[in-house]
Amino acid sequence: MTTTDPATRTSEPAATPPSGGPTGMAWVRENLFPDVWNSLLTLTLGPLLAWGVYALGRFLFVTGRWEIITVNLTTLMVGRFPRDQLFRLWIAIAILAVVIGLALGVANSVARAAAVESGDDYHRPWHEPIRRFGPPVTLLIVMGVFVRTATPLLLLAAALGLAAVAYRLGRMIPIRRRGQVNLVVILGVIGAQLAITGFDGVPRSVWGGLLLTIYFTVGALLFAFPLGVAVALGRRSSLPVVRGTCMVYIEFFRGMPLVVLLFTGWLVLPFFLPPQFPTPDIVTRAMVILVLFTSAYVAEIVRGGLQGLPRGQREAAQALGLSPWKQTRLIILPQALRSVIPALVGQAISLFKDTTLVLAVGLTELLQVARIIPGQEDFRGQGLFAETLIFVSLIYWVGSYWMSRESQRLEAKLGVGER
Amino acid sequence: MTESTLTGKSMDAGGTGETMIELTGVEKWFGDFQALKGIDLVVGKKETVVVCGPSGSGKSTLIRCINRLEVHNRGRIVVDGTELSDDVRDIQAIRRETGMVFQSFNLFPHLTILENITLAPRQVRRKPKKEAEQTAMDLLTRVKIPDQANKFPGQLSGGQQQRAAIARALAMEPKVMLFDEPTSALDPEMIKEVLDTMEQLADSGMTMVCVTHEMGFARAVADRVVFMADGAIVEVNDPETLFTSPQEQRTQLFLSQILVHPS
Ligand SMILES: Nc1ncnc2c1ncn2[C@@H]1O[C@H](COP(=O)(O)OP(=O)(O)OP(=O)(O)O)[C@@H](O)[C@H]1O
Ligand SMILES: [Mg+2]
Repeated sequence: MTTTDPATRTSEPAATPPSGGPTGMAWVRENLFPDVWNSLLTLTLGPLLAWGVYALGRFLFVTGRWEIITVNLTTLMVGRFPRDQLFRLWIAIAILAVVIGLALGVANSVARAAAVESGDDYHRPWHEPIRRFGPPVTLLIVMGVFVRTATPLLLLAAALGLAAVAYRLGRMIPIRRRGQVNLVVILGVIGAQLAITGFDGVPRSVWGGLLLTIYFTVGALLFAFPLGVAVALGRRSSLPVVRGTCMVYIEFFRGMPLVVLLFTGWLVLPFFLPPQFPTPDIVTRAMVILVLFTSAYVAEIVRGGLQGLPRGQREAAQALGLSPWKQTRLIILPQALRSVIPALVGQAISLFKDTTLVLAVGLTELLQVARIIPGQEDFRGQGLFAETLIFVSLIYWVGSYWMSRESQRLEAKLGVGER
Repeated sequence: MTESTLTGKSMDAGGTGETMIELTGVEKWFGDFQALKGIDLVVGKKETVVVCGPSGSGKSTLIRCINRLEVHNRGRIVVDGTELSDDVRDIQAIRRETGMVFQSFNLFPHLTILENITLAPRQVRRKPKKEAEQTAMDLLTRVKIPDQANKFPGQLSGGQQQRAAIARALAMEPKVMLFDEPTSALDPEMIKEVLDTMEQLADSGMTMVCVTHEMGFARAVADRVVFMADGAIVEVNDPETLFTSPQEQRTQLFLSQILVHPS
């Protein structure tokens, strides 16, 4: 205890500060056996838990036949992606490392400047980066265990190095140029895709594994987010036609199971397109469906945020003479979006996990690879599903957990509900 | 008091004698409910008019019609020569010339005080950032909170927030300031600092329409006091006369009530 209420201090001068909590036996008694019922619970659950940990540990470290992951690591990462074209993927990763590093660097200097301006003491505890990047780094280490040659590790290290350099650079960019940095990031994302598909590259139809999962997640988010915001605004438009259209849109896509929509895009859509119109490939169709589906949820979330704002905010903006669009863009949206960050991140996590459903339309994303490889000639009939499923589960879990942690951090930083 | 003398009092521009705001036969309905029943009022340049009356009498509705936060259904509203119509350009023109201060401050919580104040000058008047910030700092000095410039609204006291809101409205260099019960959400010890700011503003020659029940402020600052009840203007007079010898029974009743229970 560092601070004591002066009142208590004067009234109870002899009071000793509580120690750091009970120790040893006292702790056990207080937390595990406080009364009959809790003791019973401890006695039942304790052994069960211990047995579970033992069984899992034994499987992970003794009986598990992890060579199936070692052999198929590349397949899990990229599916049927031609192995002689993998260099394109590394180029894409390098591009992304640079733009993400840049963006994080700029975001950091913006946060710093804001903190300095509002008089807050901006300092990050030394362990913050470790806590932030702990989960993905753990995942990388796990993957490192399964890597057979040093090349991918070296290339990954190089990409991380690039990102670090870009981060430093980003922090040196003046804040007023951050608009241009956003543009660079968008160009980088497009460039990364072009590096893979362009210049006689690898069409998306043979992408697979984690690559396809990430592609769907990031791509669908990039489009679904602005679309969802637009639909949410349209939902509150004063024009009945716009309002009605947006309402039907939201209710339709929220009312359909994603799998049904994916099947529709796969099997039914081609019949509705005019014959001379080239049918887009299946990856595009799945992407469009994911975007439409997610944007309907984003729209509902954003609408909630819009409704939660006090009426006075728009009135104050009106009274100042701001145009309706500027009222929305500068006053309403920033506050509405801030207040729904947790729900939006939740939607992103859902999307990340829902991309598994594209296996229903014949795409080999991460989960599908995990289902296929135990049937390979070398492993057929040996039932190695647990190994592959545990491995991909870890990837999904780390991805989801990381997103939710980052959202909590963002929330705390923006002080949702305080300012 | 006869109809004609009431009309005379409410239609005589005070201040310099030139007209700044003119309302003729303004009516406002919320569905079937008539909130304003034919309001005639002229506010002169540099005049301060205080509007008072019982809750629900239409005071807020009246001043919100002046900058189109509410749309009136009948009658004419002319502000500085521009008539309010459905034409968006007229509405924007009038809003640019009219500052408004709300009971609940309505500062933008995601922007610093300085950003709150410079937003409209930069976005609407297209002032360069440096210039807008300079003006903002001058205004903050005027309302005596220059050291709060880089804080967020949530970090300020109610009185400081309301003064920042006044500075925000003033930054657009309006010709008219509208106040809707600017002190009724404040603790007693903060009311004075806001009233002082408003008084100083009136002394500087601003045209002001204030909905308030602060008698002291009305006595010291108002050129005329408008008493409203049930959507109509009941009595208009200079503060001394209206408060000490009200002509209408409604006014007497209202004054006796707020003198017993000062709001
Ligand atoms: N948006 C609205 N919809 C329906 N009725 C409304 C609306 N705004 C105001 N009214 C009604 O119009 C009447 C006048 O309201 P107004 O807010 O102008 O009163 P006021 O004199 O400002 O009262 P107070 O002192 O309580 O602020 C009230 O009866 C109120 O119920
Ligand atoms: Mg009111």
